[in-house]
Amino acid sequence: MRAKSPVRPGVLSGVRVLDFTWKTVGPWVPRLLTHYGAEVIHVERAGGWDDHRYNATPSIVSDAPQAAQLPGMKKVYADPQFNTLRDEAPAAQSPGQKKLYAAPYFNTLHHGKLAISLNTRSPEGLKIVERLIGICDALVENFSAEVLPNWGLTWERIHELNAKLIYMSASGFGHTGDWKGYRSFGPTAAAQSGLSLASGLPGKPPAGWGFSYLDVMGGWMGGLALMQGLLKAKKTGKGFYIDYSVTEGAMSMLGTYLLDYQVNGRRTRRPDFPPGNRSVFPALAPHNTYRCAGMDRVGQDWWIFIACETQPQFEALCALMGQPQLALDPKFATNEARVAHQDELDAIIGRWTRPRRRYDIMRQCQGAGIVAAVVQSAEDRVEYDPQLQHREMHPIIDHPELGDFAYEGYPVKMSRTPAFVHGRAPTLGEHNQYVYGELLGMSETQIASLREHGVI
Amino acid sequence: MSGVYEGYTVVELADRRNQWAGKLLADGGARVIQIEPIQGSPGRWCGPFVDDKVDPERCLDYWWYNTSKQSVALDLARKPAQDLLLRLLAQADIFLESTPPGTLAKLGLDYACVAANRGLIYASLTDFGQDGPWRDLQMNDAAHLALGGQMASSGYSDPKETPIGGHGHQSWHMGCAFVLHGITVALYERMSSGEGQYIDVSIHDACAIGTEAAVPQWMYYGSTMNRQTGMHANPKRQPPLQLPTADGKYMIAVMQNFGPRVWDRLIKWMDEKCVTGELHDPKYQDEAYRMSEYRTGTVVRDAIARLIAASNGEECFHRAQSYGISWGLVHAAEENYDIPHYQQRNYWRSIEHPDIGRALPYPRGPVACDAIQIEPRCRAPRLGEHTQQVLQQDLGLSAQDLASLTASGAIR
Repeated sequence: MRAKSPVRPGVLSGVRVLDFTWKTVGPWVPRLLTHYGAEVIHVERAGGWDDHRYNATPSIVSDAPQAAQLPGMKKVYADPQFNTLRDEAPAAQSPGQKKLYAAPYFNTLHHGKLAISLNTRSPEGLKIVERLIGICDALVENFSAEVLPNWGLTWERIHELNAKLIYMSASGFGHTGDWKGYRSFGPTAAAQSGLSLASGLPGKPPAGWGFSYLDVMGGWMGGLALMQGLLKAKKTGKGFYIDYSVTEGAMSMLGTYLLDYQVNGRRTRRPDFPPGNRSVFPALAPHNTYRCAGMDRVGQDWWIFIACETQPQFEALCALMGQPQLALDPKFATNEARVAHQDELDAIIGRWTRPRRRYDIMRQCQGAGIVAAVVQSAEDRVEYDPQLQHREMHPIIDHPELGDFAYEGYPVKMSRTPAFVHGRAPTLGEHNQYVYGELLGMSETQIASLREHGVI
Repeated sequence: MSGVYEGYTVVELADRRNQWAGKLLADGGARVIQIEPIQGSPGRWCGPFVDDKVDPERCLDYWWYNTSKQSVALDLARKPAQDLLLRLLAQADIFLESTPPGTLAKLGLDYACVAANRGLIYASLTDFGQDGPWRDLQMNDAAHLALGGQMASSGYSDPKETPIGGHGHQSWHMGCAFVLHGITVALYERMSSGEGQYIDVSIHDACAIGTEAAVPQWMYYGSTMNRQTGMHANPKRQPPLQLPTADGKYMIAVMQNFGPRVWDRLIKWMDEKCVTGELHDPKYQDEAYRMSEYRTGTVVRDAIARLIAASNGEECFHRAQSYGISWGLVHAAEENYDIPHYQQRNYWRSIEHPDIGRALPYPRGPVACDAIQIEPRCRAPRLGEHTQQVLQQDLGLSAQDLASLTASGAIR
């Protein structure tokens, strides 16, 4: 008899994924499948827990000499406290409130998954990994290239254990080639690929991608490849290996620059690139961010992005600014002239926006058909953005400790088989009983013994 | 060739927002028929161009985003062209479109009008989706990075400096990733049910969940992110991680491993460059101490900055990586062509371009996998290159039909 899955049914019901991911880019990959009802089993080390469970605040990772040393792990407080709610700051200091699983980023990245604990360094633990491979459709990991082979789990061995299984390794540089042993994080992959150098002001250091584009998009591309893998395997019934290099994924989003170099010899390492928020191809002006009235909670000014892509848009902007004669000035009368004089033009627009409120400017500009968008923070999007509210992009979900709490939504609206956000992140080892007991058919005694021996 | 999308026919309405999604479908083996306006896709007019001469047949951005596709040029303002598109959709597997909401309904081409093709997956990738108060706002790629939250987390540590949106159509890429998730899962489901469906993806929604920890930081702590030069935005201001090298480049010096193996080699390297300073003090032999000092102090960080400033970028990258330290070097995209690692991994695909008399090396798709095989298969089409072929073979039009449609301006 098939065990009843704890996950909500969806298009991918019946698909089971073994998830050895950690950090950020890896966890996104299988998480995307949870929106379609796949059963994703997230494996955490017995006696330890996922990085993001304790990376909740800088204070969690110990800086103190009295920190307990747990075997094989980073030093963490023996009794970590998690500051889970903004109104509960003192909770970080008050003992007795363990909220291991409520760490914000873990709760975001792993929601909808199942969690088991397993000591993969023990022979018994590895046997269990092999049995799990036998009952899963996909295995995803983002360790360094040597980790799984060190466990004895080469692709050949994995394929032998389950010929239908798709194995995806998500790594910085891929699992072949000179750099297969090299390690990376989102920002290093952005640097290596050329992405970082496509973001910033001319003459200044690269600004990079502070929202950590590759930690996010890297996961979304990996998730896509996993879905593609499932589609292919559904057709052929055969498993295969997907070697996903995040850096290569990033390079595949820079094709225009690569062709420009090949054909025109134009490099992205050049004095006038990156061009800040201006547009080079096509050359357009105005196309920039402008300072508005006010600043955020940490003292950063508020900004708005404005662009005119057509002559009527520019004329409308001049009228809005109360300077209709600008559109007749030879320096600004055509797009070509505006591009040539954009420092001066940006200064004029900046003087207009500076004392004005950002959402007022956006409303007025958009009302006149001009491209205008407030540089929105997370607070702006969660608390104000009427579009995201309308699209229900921050759904409320129940959580045993947090109670009803808002989560980030999933942006694919399907008419006949809706995707969903069906859960909070699992607590530590929450699904040991389901996975070991029901899926692997172990008895209570066996499970207790494994627990006693530190295997689970 | 055995691409994952082999056997599917896609009709794509040319637009700069969706063309990457169409490209990955085409590179993955689908037959993608891009319907262009008579004057060409907007993607043909943005540049850069070959030799910087404006020419819709020689736009490199278009070349990149439209590999492996076919081009059919139709004037959809005309009824006969609308009928042709309707007939193409009647036999397609996937329709990919990015018109402003309501546009296609006026032309009799909305989902309800074509749903008689039960298997059709009709995917709309638009700025804000099909509904909501901001649905009809004017946007472009950079505007999405502003409104979606990317800019608020990217830029410089100086709080007076402007937020920065990176280049390369990244908000459109984010939207495309999700529309492809929807299409791929819908194809998977269709294998069982035989039924297609309608998919509505908003680029704004996609960007809004793409800011990593910014939203949870706000929701759980009420924290606001500080922009930081070349590194993650963070609720707390942190010391710089993007450090200048001796040869004028930048390292991303993320330091996470303070174990003895890594540390001893790092110190030896510092000794070579004479930058170790007080790290010779025995207290740094204690892993917990040096890790703690790194997190809260400046001694370890300053020594690392001196080390990087005394080393060339390439040396720094390879040496650190060989020690198990995951530092990265800020490369230019074009510098990747010279790196043997990517050649060893067979990353580049040679695509013939008879117009310029040579082949160009294109990146393959994001993953190395023979079973999925997403990679450029041939150059982007010329405007209307496949109009006749598609209308004749797919719809059975005669030479006479084609001539009269061409004469009336409905096709090109």
